[in-house]
Amino acid sequence: MVKAGTSEKGDALVIIEPSEKREVYVESKIMAIYGETIRKTVEEETSGLVARIAVKDFGSLEWVLRARIEAAIRKFRGEEK
Amino acid sequence: MKLRRTRLYVPGNNPHLVENVGLYNADAIILDLEDSVPIPQKFDARILVKYSLQHVDFGRSEKWVRINGITTPYWEKDLREILPYCEVINLPKVESYEDMVIVDEKMREIEKEYGLEPREVVPIIESVKGLINAREIAEHPRVSALAWGGEDLTADLGIPRKKALILDHVRAQIVFAAKANKKQALDTVYSNIRDEEGLFEYAQRARYMGFDGIGVIHPNQIEVVHRAFRPTDDEIEDAKKIIEAAEEAEKEGKGVISLNGRMIDPPVVERARKILQFAEVD
Repeated sequence: MVKAGTSEKGDALVIIEPSEKREVYVESKIMAIYGETIRKTVEEETSGLVARIAVKDFGSLEWVLRARIEAAIRKFRGEEK
Repeated sequence: MKLRRTRLYVPGNNPHLVENVGLYNADAIILDLEDSVPIPQKFDARILVKYSLQHVDFGRSEKWVRINGITTPYWEKDLREILPYCEVINLPKVESYEDMVIVDEKMREIEKEYGLEPREVVPIIESVKGLINAREIAEHPRVSALAWGGEDLTADLGIPRKKALILDHVRAQIVFAAKANKKQALDTVYSNIRDEEGLFEYAQRARYMGFDGIGVIHPNQIEVVHRAFRPTDDEIEDAKKIIEAAEEAEKEGKGVISLNGRMIDPPVVERARKILQFAEVD
């Protein structure tokens, strides 16, 4: 399992775990307003990745979310080691 | 020369603090990958800084990044990730000219790969060895300004920072090393963010010691420091007279500039220009 980001205000926490099928979970305090936009960004950035992807949003701007997803994917692929 | 009265340090891994940096009117913003980022967050921070540089509005502020020092396993990765998107590399714990050569080589490699203009480096002198070699370090063509850090330096000297009697000597060495190479000299931060009066005095003192700016750690410090670096009315008046005399002498083809019977040397004219440059901003 890899994690990127934090639970601080304006940030997002992205967790990726190995899985045999692709699963995407999105959670946000502002789900009702931005849920669709967040989900769309997550789908775009993780497209084709077969894993369990969980995103907790804490009011992040789109570029922050993209940065955290990129960090998580690169860690998942073993780059941090 | 660019105005660098204020350079605001912002922790690189905190999106909430990075979002509004363009509103603060600092001369430079430093997104920090070094001391404000704990080791487990280095990887995430590097990527967040890359995105910040591309997506955040920096307003009129120069885009700087403080990378990790060259004795760490992070500095090359930092450079590779962020160099294409920033203007200045703030390099901590520089101790010798050779340190600059090592970093310069890596920067050249990345600049060539991406087809970039050469980026400037502002080294931070934080050790006795670095201080002894400061003049040579400032000679490196990448270096546009020299900064220093008090915490590590006083630790290296084995004296408590608040009791250190040697710091004005250190400051003088930094100013001489920078100015001997026609580079800017940048003083360290004033850490009490509530003491506006103390900050004003500190910044004005830095200015009269020959520094071009100081580091700031809170947006509220910026306006105070800019005020401290603003020349007084008398200084502006004198500078205007000197520039007028210089222009007059040039028009008349005279090699010697004089004002009220006093000879004016070229460095004095240069100083007058700088004073007017400082006076015109904001």
